[in-house]
Amino acid sequence: MQLVDLPTRRDESWRYSDLRMALSDVTMPPDGTRPLQAWNRLDGVVDRLALAQGQHAFTKVQPGEEETLIELVGGDAPFEASVREISVAPGGALTRIMIQTRGNVVLDAAHVSVSDKAVFRQFILAEGAKLARIETNVEIEGEGAEVELQGVYLCNEGRHADLTSIVTHKSPNGKTKQLVKGVARNGGRGVFQGKIVVERGAQKTDARQYHHGMLLEEGAEIFAKPELMIHADDVACAHGNTAGGLDETALFYLRSRGVRETEARALLTEAFLFEALPEWLPPNMRGELEARVGAWLRGAR
Amino acid sequence: MNMLEINDLHVTVGNTEIVKGLTLAVPAGETHAIMGPNGSGKSTLAYTLAGRENYRVTAGDAALEGVDLLALTPEQRAVKGLFLSFQYPIEIPGLSAIAFLKAALNAQRKAHGVEPMSAPELLKLMREKAAALNIGEALLKRPLNVGFSGGEKKRFEALQMAVLQPRFAILDETDSGLDIDALKVVAESVNSLRTPDRGFLVITHYQRLLDYIKPDKVHVLANGRIMKSGGPELALELEREGYDKYLRAA
Repeated sequence: MQLVDLPTRRDESWRYSDLRMALSDVTMPPDGTRPLQAWNRLDGVVDRLALAQGQHAFTKVQPGEEETLIELVGGDAPFEASVREISVAPGGALTRIMIQTRGNVVLDAAHVSVSDKAVFRQFILAEGAKLARIETNVEIEGEGAEVELQGVYLCNEGRHADLTSIVTHKSPNGKTKQLVKGVARNGGRGVFQGKIVVERGAQKTDARQYHHGMLLEEGAEIFAKPELMIHADDVACAHGNTAGGLDETALFYLRSRGVRETEARALLTEAFLFEALPEWLPPNMRGELEARVGAWLRGAR
Repeated sequence: MNMLEINDLHVTVGNTEIVKGLTLAVPAGETHAIMGPNGSGKSTLAYTLAGRENYRVTAGDAALEGVDLLALTPEQRAVKGLFLSFQYPIEIPGLSAIAFLKAALNAQRKAHGVEPMSAPELLKLMREKAAALNIGEALLKRPLNVGFSGGEKKRFEALQMAVLQPRFAILDETDSGLDIDALKVVAESVNSLRTPDRGFLVITHYQRLLDYIKPDKVHVLANGRIMKSGGPELALELEREGYDKYLRAA
């Protein structure tokens, strides 16, 4: 436990994810060996825990290349932490799909550096764990880069899913599009923390951030902390954040056509969540993700 | 035999009684029109029969083919053959019109112990019915009612009715938002469903719709009660003289 200073609930970015509490009955792994090479400063809490576990990976996309990275996180271990450094060279494109459906304490951090006219697209499906936190830190270093961060979280009783991201626009003409949607049932907790920073030099930035949560039952919790910090004066930025319940009128409409209430609820919730599945998902991957969401919505707990 | 029978129905919404002792019977094979001014309880009656929440029945009963409607959930009423064409069809972003219709049709088939319709069969059926209503295939793929014009929404309601083939349909102000050409198309679709084993209740403000869907009987609803019943000529009288005398009487 001495290897890092665990954040308390008072620490801004950990307000809704009580790591100290989650790790209180976990025996920490021995300190691993830090790799000699790192592209970024890895000094976050997740970074240091991941380095201690030796879970440090790199992805480098060469100029003009297109790559897809599919990652599954969360297993049987009581505690898992991983960090990945990603760099996308000029004109390159990386599509990252991450699926987290199980686990105990699952922490993941990605540090992404995006160059001129490069594209970084990400989709995360998180079903939460005792504590699951997936961090994405993106630095837009080059001009005209595009970043898309989409995600869906599904939180059953006893599950906590935290999608946290910081996108920093350091260069002009960059684009960020973020849409995260999620649902929680009684005793489940969903967290969205999204920060977009537009630095002084990053003129003509176009940044959009949306998060919409739906509380499926009494006793569900959704926490959201959307932030836009804009230091440039010629930008187009928008954000929107909502949390609410199912539209009762729509539910009645479906039921009046003969659809049973449980199925009507599932259909409407699917319709809500599927909007956050990006159109660029490979068709088989989309089918897989839709099926997972559908099964979750219709499944017994 | 009466298909729909309503007896001394009282309905409260919030703390206000809207329907105040309504009695009405529609025999099989007939189409009845309910006309009335704003606030007379027309839509409340429609929603109550379809089973919408928060429409509290405080007295009276309503039966469809002898089955107590009020004891059923909205989906059970639909399976029984009741259909409500909404005055304001609901927009559902993310759910395509075709997926909505597929869910509805197969839910009803399942409740009747019939195998679900396969996707190609369903598509063929919808294309055929949609063509009769001048509904383009592109519309079916769009999210349900989102960005549909008023006329498109009402035509899609008519398409649902044509596909689901209900036993008894309530049309709540189907004419509102429809231009005259769309009105004719929708009326034709309704008329094609008028068979001796079906019944219709057409709710409207205006006589115009009844030029195209000719009712067997017309009822005047004012202040939550049927004030007068008569033949189609009653609609013409209302068009001439308005609802004033019924409102005063109520």
